[in-house]
Amino acid sequence: MTAQVEIRDRRWPWYAAVSAIVVALTLSMISPADAVQGDLIRIMYIHVPAAWLAYLAFTVTLAGSIGYLATKRMVFDRLAASSAEVGVYFTGLAILLGMIWGKPTWGVWWTWDARLTLTAIMFFVYVGYLALRRATLDPDARAKRSAILGVLAIVQIPIVHFSVVWWRTLHQPPSIIRPDGPAIQDPLMVVALVAGVVAFTVVYAALVTKRMELARIEDAVVAREATLERPVAGEAVVAPDLSPEPGGAR
Amino acid sequence: MSGIRRQALAVARRDLARERRRGEVLWVTIPFGVIALLLVPLAIGTDQATLHRVGPGLYWVVVLLFGVLVGVRGAADETGPQRDAAALLGLDPVAVFAGRTIATSSLLVLFEIVVGVAAVAFYDIDLIGVGWLVVVVLLVAAGLGTLATLASSIVAAGAGAAALVPLLVAPLAIPLLLGATQSLDGLRQGRSILSWILLMIVVVLVLGIVGVVSSGPLQESR
Repeated sequence: MTAQVEIRDRRWPWYAAVSAIVVALTLSMISPADAVQGDLIRIMYIHVPAAWLAYLAFTVTLAGSIGYLATKRMVFDRLAASSAEVGVYFTGLAILLGMIWGKPTWGVWWTWDARLTLTAIMFFVYVGYLALRRATLDPDARAKRSAILGVLAIVQIPIVHFSVVWWRTLHQPPSIIRPDGPAIQDPLMVVALVAGVVAFTVVYAALVTKRMELARIEDAVVAREATLERPVAGEAVVAPDLSPEPGGAR
Repeated sequence: MSGIRRQALAVARRDLARERRRGEVLWVTIPFGVIALLLVPLAIGTDQATLHRVGPGLYWVVVLLFGVLVGVRGAADETGPQRDAAALLGLDPVAVFAGRTIATSSLLVLFEIVVGVAAVAFYDIDLIGVGWLVVVVLLVAAGLGTLATLASSIVAAGAGAAALVPLLVAPLAIPLLLGATQSLDGLRQGRSILSWILLMIVVVLVLGIVGVVSSGPLQESR
């Protein structure tokens, strides 16, 4: 008896993601260099969308967690987990790119700025979320426990976002969404930044879609294996063959 | 309600009795924290002025990192058969959570006091505003105790629980660390520390509410 699990090989997420990235990269390359930072500004076209995705991903994790706790449907658990996994990756990317940008701009790889420190803490909170999932084998227990943590962990996001407003920090305040309009004057720069955000959001959607599909297959395989017939204890032990070998030798 | 209170106190007494027999916090965790306070000057230098300046912050970092071990103790103890027995006895999950939180927080107060005495001696920390210090110590113990109990309930003696609980607790305890360090700093400089006290009270309340609300679903998932 073999385990058979339906696999839906959907390609559209990849096509959409690659198209969006090509458009965003092109725009980021043709947008003008910054008057002060020069070409270093181009890192921002990836750093800002990656940071945005971290917020989006962890908010979706919250929504998935609440959805699971309310309905007990595993699809919400898979959504929360997949989104957290992608979010951790993009948070790491945002931190790494910020460090690469910070070295020539601030003169150091890391500074004890509120936004940086809190983002690193948020990263580790969700690393803990993923570690908790790996440590819990029972699917229902895993879903319930990680859903509670997914709800609790969301408190980090407003603290990280408003840290640049609440504390006097080295990290600049919001550049686009602000009460007195965008701080960026060049329209092409704004378009390139917005295109980056849209492209990364499409990439996020593609990755989460594929990861959820993979999680569904994993769950189906585990469930299927649990129902398979297994060899009974002692079946592997066979009586020694004491019959005389051909030729008379024992 | 009185039933829940009675059950919670019974669970707390059980946890404290277990600690009295084993002495895990008193003879292992507390000495470990004091050793950490001894090691730092060997690493950063023994300049008295520097140690006097960093001492209070260092004390709270030790309380946070080593205090988590007090919460881990609960996660390691709560094995499947024990949880099943508690459920069969009809213990209210809220009472179990509250009882374990009371026991962990009480042990944390002991930990903070003993390690605090060592920190005052090693780093020559000024004790200004003793009344407020007592409030800060109690709030940190309550907050860290609630968080550690909640995290150990979530992990529930799963694989790698001893490492997982600190990973969950340490980042989420940052508001408590900030509140405690800023309160001490404020007392030293004669500033009002009410906003930091309020922050810690809010953290304790939020964690308590999350713990109480999630205690039922967490017991079901075991």
